[in-house]
Amino acid sequence: MKTQFRQFFESSPDALLVVDSVGRIRQANARAESLFGYRHEQVQGELAQTLFPGQQMTWCPPADTPEQRRAAGRHLELVGRRSDRSQFPADVAVIPIQTAEGPEALVSIKDLSEAQRAQFALELGFDVVQSAERDEQALLGHLIRAVEQERGRIAADIHDDTIQILSAANLRLQQLRHRLQDPDDLQILDKLDETFALSLSRLRQLIFDLRPSTLEEGSVADAVRAYCEEMRSDIGIDFRVEGSCRTKIPASTSMLIYRTVQEALVNVRKHARAKTVRIKFLDVSDGCLTRISDDGVGYSPAEVENRPGHLGLTLMRERAELSGGWCRIESSPGGGTVVEFWVPFDNSPEQPGAGRERAA
Amino acid sequence: MKKIFGPHTRRVLDVLAGLRGLSPGDVDLVAATWKHESAVDRAEAWAELHRATSRDERYPILAAAAAGRRTAMDIARDLHRTDWAFWAAAWDATAAVAAADVIGGHFDTLAAPVAEVMPSLAQEQVGAQSPARVPSPRSQHESAVSRGRSPVPRGRSSRATP
Repeated sequence: MKTQFRQFFESSPDALLVVDSVGRIRQANARAESLFGYRHEQVQGELAQTLFPGQQMTWCPPADTPEQRRAAGRHLELVGRRSDRSQFPADVAVIPIQTAEGPEALVSIKDLSEAQRAQFALELGFDVVQSAERDEQALLGHLIRAVEQERGRIAADIHDDTIQILSAANLRLQQLRHRLQDPDDLQILDKLDETFALSLSRLRQLIFDLRPSTLEEGSVADAVRAYCEEMRSDIGIDFRVEGSCRTKIPASTSMLIYRTVQEALVNVRKHARAKTVRIKFLDVSDGCLTRISDDGVGYSPAEVENRPGHLGLTLMRERAELSGGWCRIESSPGGGTVVEFWVPFDNSPEQPGAGRERAA
Repeated sequence: MKKIFGPHTRRVLDVLAGLRGLSPGDVDLVAATWKHESAVDRAEAWAELHRATSRDERYPILAAAAAGRRTAMDIARDLHRTDWAFWAAAWDATAAVAAADVIGGHFDTLAAPVAEVMPSLAQEQVGAQSPARVPSPRSQHESAVSRGRSPVPRGRSSRATP
């Protein structure tokens, strides 16, 4: 047993010391000598404390005491000092042992320098990622607001300018109708009438897409229902819109919910091959919980999320996050897709570092 | 030491390690339990998590949740399981552990499905809570249920969709 202990002691990859009851080093293995830079004769008989100066330690607590039981197997992070006075972080484990000389301690020392360097690199990388993500969020927030402003501006221009001009032209056309007698001319005029009506209808639809009037006049659910009706007439996907968020919510919140639902429905339209899509709204915790689920082909998140170019999914998450809410998008092949998000009714953008109320 | 997943990094790492040890049956049980839980309660818990944290505080919590979800997806793939409810449950549970001291009684709502197969998780909250925070009566009830590891969860709200 003694020989086996000796072999174990000497061949251990960790630095090992045997410390007696007064804290003197009785034995040190080769790894301990190389770690601290001392020769065998220099270290033997010295106080273990000299290897960890300024750090009070009870190396070898009295046997069969609560202190010894507590000490068994404990790990400490200490600073070791080498013979050249350089220092290193060390993980020190103290194991009380009983020898022929009485109670002693086996002390195992691991140099943590490499681990700390790796951790430092990891933390640095994490900070860089976090900082890049903050920039990305700020940029996305700016982009989302800019897109919404631009949509509003284009919608206003079409309404106040293009549609007015077309309406005036249509009025003149009607004046012209009174002067025409030839049936062929009147037939051409009818065709022109139809074209005008179609153009106006398309422009009004465009205005609705850019700035849904039902959002201003009614509820998000109504606007989503109108969008779904259009989708059904285009590609035949059936839909159900259930529940509604409370009517009086800030316009910015309504728009945020509508745009997120719209983004999810664009994905259904483009990728899902679904027969039915179900949209449900519910008031939860002073916010609106929205769930869009389809019975389509679904996808494998592990594969899709690893590929670049999923701006739609990112935008849905970011929209919710930027407003202090959350978004969950889940799917599996053959299992349809669920987009679930919650946004607070008061969704004033949160500033980085700003604190919020704590859970009571 | 800086904590990448916040002050409860060690516990988050324990949960991630625990997920790796799950069997196919465990995965199915977690997914079934998650689907049986109330989506409204979950939404309230997440709303609380967002309300109770600043963006900077939330970052490590969401990083933990993302790590939990990713780990669960890898495990599901290895075990030939495709039900996304499993990685959704892992997302919730790791977020709950990382945010244990700010979500109060909502901890159990988020952690319960994974706690079905990881009983130590059901007791995480006890260690993480500040004295001012106590689990809601419903949460205490659910903790008791989850420790029972019933194959079909009983006694919970069945509002499975919003």
